[in-house]
Amino acid sequence: MSNGQPQIVIDKVSHMYRPPRGKPVLALDDVSLQVGTREFLALLGPSGCGKSTLLYLLGGFLPIEKGAITVDSKPVAAPGPDRGIVFQHFALFPWKTVRDNILYGLERQSMPKDERLARAQSFIDLVGLSGFEDSFPSQLSGGMKQRTALARTLAFDPKILLMDEPFGALDAQTRHLMQGELLNIWQRTPKTVIFVTHDVQEAVYLADRVAVMTARPGRIKTIVDTKFDKNDPGIFKTKVFVDKVDELWGLVRDEAIKAERRKV
Amino acid sequence: MARTDAVAEQETLALEAPGRSLVRRILWGAAHLISIAALVIAWEGLARSGTFTPFVLPSLSSVIERIWSDAQSGELAINTGLTVYRALVGFLISAVFGILIGLAMSRNVVANWFFDPVVSVGFPMPKIAFLPVVILWLGVYDVSKITMIVVDAIFPVIAATVIAIKGVERELIWSARNMGASDRELMWQIVLPAAMPQILTGLQVALPLSMIVAVVAEMLMGGYGLGGAMMTASRFADSRGVFAGIVEIAIVGYVLVKGMSLLRRRLLIWHQEANEPTTA
Ligand SMILES: Nc1ncnc2c1ncn2[C@@H]1O[C@H](COP(=O)(O)OP(=O)(O)OP(=O)(O)O)[C@@H](O)[C@H]1O
Ligand SMILES: [Mg+2]
Repeated sequence: MSNGQPQIVIDKVSHMYRPPRGKPVLALDDVSLQVGTREFLALLGPSGCGKSTLLYLLGGFLPIEKGAITVDSKPVAAPGPDRGIVFQHFALFPWKTVRDNILYGLERQSMPKDERLARAQSFIDLVGLSGFEDSFPSQLSGGMKQRTALARTLAFDPKILLMDEPFGALDAQTRHLMQGELLNIWQRTPKTVIFVTHDVQEAVYLADRVAVMTARPGRIKTIVDTKFDKNDPGIFKTKVFVDKVDELWGLVRDEAIKAERRKV
Repeated sequence: MARTDAVAEQETLALEAPGRSLVRRILWGAAHLISIAALVIAWEGLARSGTFTPFVLPSLSSVIERIWSDAQSGELAINTGLTVYRALVGFLISAVFGILIGLAMSRNVVANWFFDPVVSVGFPMPKIAFLPVVILWLGVYDVSKITMIVVDAIFPVIAATVIAIKGVERELIWSARNMGASDRELMWQIVLPAAMPQILTGLQVALPLSMIVAVVAEMLMGGYGLGGAMMTASRFADSRGVFAGIVEIAIVGYVLVKGMSLLRRRLLIWHQEANEPTTA
């Protein structure tokens, strides 16, 4: 943090999946990216370009076979609660209630029991799930599951947030509310965020910078600065904002078309 | 047939007001006993029609009378109790060690290397072939009968546990790791509960198997117990006694299996299947 190096350094990372049957898939090819402390970076790219894979590598879930990733100058070796992830498919524990899912991370930190319970409750309230504390994931809608996953990760207060389309299952209204809450948390507590999304406007609104990835094998195509005043409610209508969204749309569309062509 | 019933039931349940659906449920449960009732009536009718002598096919009512008198003499309680005791002890040992071996095989290369061939060879083998050896080593009392049960019932538990653990979603494990779970916590708090539905399926296979082996072992080794009592009755040409044994075994087996599926519903209250109406 202090020695001038960015908090997260991804250096020439490639990743190859080797399924037991079928041929190997090169998911990431020579990806380099740096993210500063307290920076909010959005990742945009066509489906299948390796966004989730990149987060898995950052999270320490997959082995880094080629290249290097350091966080605070230390190489990533294993998963840890310093890098909280919100999975694209939620990964809730189905045998635990909403409350117990959220408590699981808190139980692994030294925190008195009543404080844990209060903290869990405050995040349940934050994502609007009051009244569903004792429901099991199988009894929730997709959007409610996603909000539970969001609360679970936010609750243990990781200094780095890896978010894989965390609002993808939400309706427009809830999505807007959750964006506001996320920005709130990000502005209040020191957090670095890497945020995968398919929603260009969301990326431009939330992020300081947006990295656009190429179609598979994923590479970083360009990085665009998108620092806007997040507290300005009229920001969406300003010309600079709309132009930025258009510019990024163009970049993403080109890659999506390439990905589509390759299939045929 | 069973499938269309399930669909029809779901529809009626959805259409019913909550108050009436309970009545419906009970009626539906009763309807499931129709096939059993038909069998019982056919048995009684056939026995009374005089087609067979009472020796070949005693009437159900006379068999029930016999069960009643056995119950009063205390014979029934001893035989049933012993058989159920052996079956349950064997089942519990199989459950605990089966799950532990399955866990060890999934976790440890050496354990897998050691047990995998044993399971592959042992599972399909008719374990009753070991009976003479077991009698030589352990005699004919409870220990040898329970050993026979464990040798049979442990395999489906091991197999179910290994397959269940293989199928646990990697993201569940990652998400626990992400929150700081240790190896030990991961095993007991995440992998085991996630694998529980399939492990329970293995246990549901092992339980009736335990009962079956208990009865067969009793038949072959003699002594008290439902199987032994049937063999004794057969030797004395006591056909009512033999048929009484069959009815008792059927009832005990039904109760055990039913109890197990209730336990499953209890344990898997969080599971999708608990939210849906069932036909059982
Ligand atoms: N377990 C796996 N085995 C083999 N190939 C895989 C595996 N997981 C992902 N892939 C391949 O790697 C590529 C990148 O996958 P990844 O999930 O990272 O994409 P993504 O950018 O997150 O896509 P989406 O936006 O649809 O979530 C895909 O083309 C996929 O086919
Ligand atoms: Mg993805």
